[in-house]
Amino acid sequence: MTDAPNGPWFTSLPPCETLVPCGRGQHSVRWEAGEFRLPSHTDPEAELVLAALGGDKARCVEIAEAWQRHTADLTVLGIGPRSPADEVTVSWDDVDAAGQAARSGASVLGYGAGPLASPPRAAMARAAARYQQHQQEAGEASQRRLDMLSLLALGTGFQVRLAGQVVAAHADRLDEPDELGRTIRSVLTAALAGRVALVAEQWLGIDPDQVEVSLNRGTGWGSVELTGRGEQRRLRVSLPAWWLARVWACGLALTGRHLVVAVERAGWPDARVLALSAPGAEPVSRSAHAVSRPSGAADAPHWEI
Amino acid sequence: MDREGAETYLRLLAEAAMRGSLTPAAGPRAPNASTIMAAGHALTAVGALDPVTAEEILTDFRLATTARQLHHQSGGQGVTAAEWLTQGQAVLRPRQVPARSPGEGAPWEDPDHGRTDYDRADRFVPVGLTVPFRAGAVRGELCLMSFAQTGSGARFIAAWQVHSPLLEVQLSHHYPGLIPFDEFTVTDDRGARYELDLTPGSDLAWPNMIRLSPAPPGTIRWLDVAPPYRQAIRVDLCSSEPAPAGDATRASDTTLSPGEHLLVMLAERLLTGTPEFPRRGLLAAPPTSPRQVVAGGFGVIIAALEAAGVLSPLSPVPARLATLCASLDLTGHGIAAPPTLDLPEPWLSLLAHYQRRKPEPTQMREGYAALAASLPELDGIRVILLGLQHTQGGSALHVLVQGQIPEPRPGPLDIDLNFPLSLWLKDSGGRWHAARPDRCHQAGQESAIRLRLVPPLTRPADRVEVLAGGRSAEVRATLPLRWRYLS
Repeated sequence: MTDAPNGPWFTSLPPCETLVPCGRGQHSVRWEAGEFRLPSHTDPEAELVLAALGGDKARCVEIAEAWQRHTADLTVLGIGPRSPADEVTVSWDDVDAAGQAARSGASVLGYGAGPLASPPRAAMARAAARYQQHQQEAGEASQRRLDMLSLLALGTGFQVRLAGQVVAAHADRLDEPDELGRTIRSVLTAALAGRVALVAEQWLGIDPDQVEVSLNRGTGWGSVELTGRGEQRRLRVSLPAWWLARVWACGLALTGRHLVVAVERAGWPDARVLALSAPGAEPVSRSAHAVSRPSGAADAPHWEI
Repeated sequence: MDREGAETYLRLLAEAAMRGSLTPAAGPRAPNASTIMAAGHALTAVGALDPVTAEEILTDFRLATTARQLHHQSGGQGVTAAEWLTQGQAVLRPRQVPARSPGEGAPWEDPDHGRTDYDRADRFVPVGLTVPFRAGAVRGELCLMSFAQTGSGARFIAAWQVHSPLLEVQLSHHYPGLIPFDEFTVTDDRGARYELDLTPGSDLAWPNMIRLSPAPPGTIRWLDVAPPYRQAIRVDLCSSEPAPAGDATRASDTTLSPGEHLLVMLAERLLTGTPEFPRRGLLAAPPTSPRQVVAGGFGVIIAALEAAGVLSPLSPVPARLATLCASLDLTGHGIAAPPTLDLPEPWLSLLAHYQRRKPEPTQMREGYAALAASLPELDGIRVILLGLQHTQGGSALHVLVQGQIPEPRPGPLDIDLNFPLSLWLKDSGGRWHAARPDRCHQAGQESAIRLRLVPPLTRPADRVEVLAGGRSAEVRATLPLRWRYLS
């Protein structure tokens, strides 16, 4: 489905670029057509080899590695932004401070409390093994969080594209657990609910807590129905997981006061979408055209019908 | 059981809480970390959700909310990047190592650590003997309620009293360190000698389990217990056949779902956690009290249990909880079901007790009643009643629990999963007393538990009715009591 007839999920997304402190200067890093690229580093592979031999690893290269490690990490959906207004602002100073804290924390953790009595060697060996395992797990968790902080520091454009990439990695295997044992369907349902509720609030002015969202299990685009009144009012939305990548991550969710429920023909800056003018209505095929924001930020697409 | 439904529910709850945290105007009813913890604890307690997953959801929620506070330091709610890195402490994971039982030493001292030998015949004997002692300026009485021998060891369940001219002893509720256990001699019918001690790992605030070391053979007929410089008192162990729970034991099937069972446990936790005779208007718990945290999470807990398929939307239990909350002045419970007057008789009895708002005159003296009665198995769990005690104005029931004891799951709901049964005593005056775990030592599939009676006994009943309820059945047994008093 990633390479459906209307193109990969990111076909409706423009490239995105930012500057990263690297060495003594600042280097540009770029996302384009689903790839994370380092235009300032001509041969990142060679730099990795040098780093393995004891040389310094460039921050750009570290970030590219972190990106690759997290393109299927469902945690990204939990931490990342829910809407354009939900900005997660992390500075490179934050990343440096967290890195220092992690390093000093590791050195403190290296000296545990001594044993209480005089246990025999077997017990000490077991305790040492448990301690080592704990240290390893803590180190891995710390690295994952440092990675995440670096990826958040890239800015909203990258955060949204990474979310799209994570969804694309899982959207066709909803009934499997991920490598950490999480139920993919549950994680994607929550990710969809968190984002659709805010879109619906903007679309209809409904309280987001009155929006009930489920993953569409059928083959169509899904359904959107409004029921009840007052406190009993509910907007019931059922959409496929791919909506998050092909529609939401591409900035198409609410276009020209329409809820876009599917992309018929992906493209940048022109796409064809299925859009709803109101709950319960039949979606209509529309042409969407991307326009530059007043700020000129091309990494935050804005569409009009 | 719908495990995916359970996980999805908790993730959606976290998402709603996340949304609330992004909206400064979100009301106090908006879900938050406490709500996620309460629902997560409920779902892990019924086995619908892995505790690690529940904890991960909570951690991700905290990471998400605090990531948005990285640059809010001036407002007082910000976090630093270093603090962000350490978000997420273990709150719902099962404990890695269960508490040691009486008789267990350090793990490296015992090659069979954790093993319980159920091949050996268990022996439970009511004793009911008082052993006076004197050691220097200290004198007192060691009151042997019962003797219990299982694969985990042999022990007396005892009450005791110490008299001393020392002021600190007079002021102290518990001073078991003064009992000269090492000066007692214990001999069996074959001349073998044993030592008494408050076992390693035992709790000085719970001096009711006195270990016999080494464990005697299962075939001995009696034990002579001799205090220092005094004549031995013989403990007859011959009546060691499996003890029936009184003359009248009735078992009946019940069909509580796992969700209903959990809600009943929570209800009884509320009932037994209510302060005694508060002044008028003070029955309501402060918002941060465990009772209010539990009650405040009921709406979400019920929804979570329904999403997990372990509670029917037609269940009568939520309506009972609504009545309970209203009766106990617990607000904000969020239970959608309207209150009902159809409450279980023991709940009504305890509510009536609280509504009296003043203590009843008590006719109880400090004392104990020997017991050794085994209840029929409930949900794979066998409960052996080993003594009833009244001291310092409180009453306690001592029990041994064997079988499929669930793993403890610490969490905000403060429920005792290692005693997953409902246990009530009805005195001869018709009043019900809830038995709530107070102290517990677990070893493998066996737990020694002291249950606190709420409210305490007020008159020395000559018999009590015991009501034990599990998910699949409940048992009623009538037990005759013979009280013995401390001097």
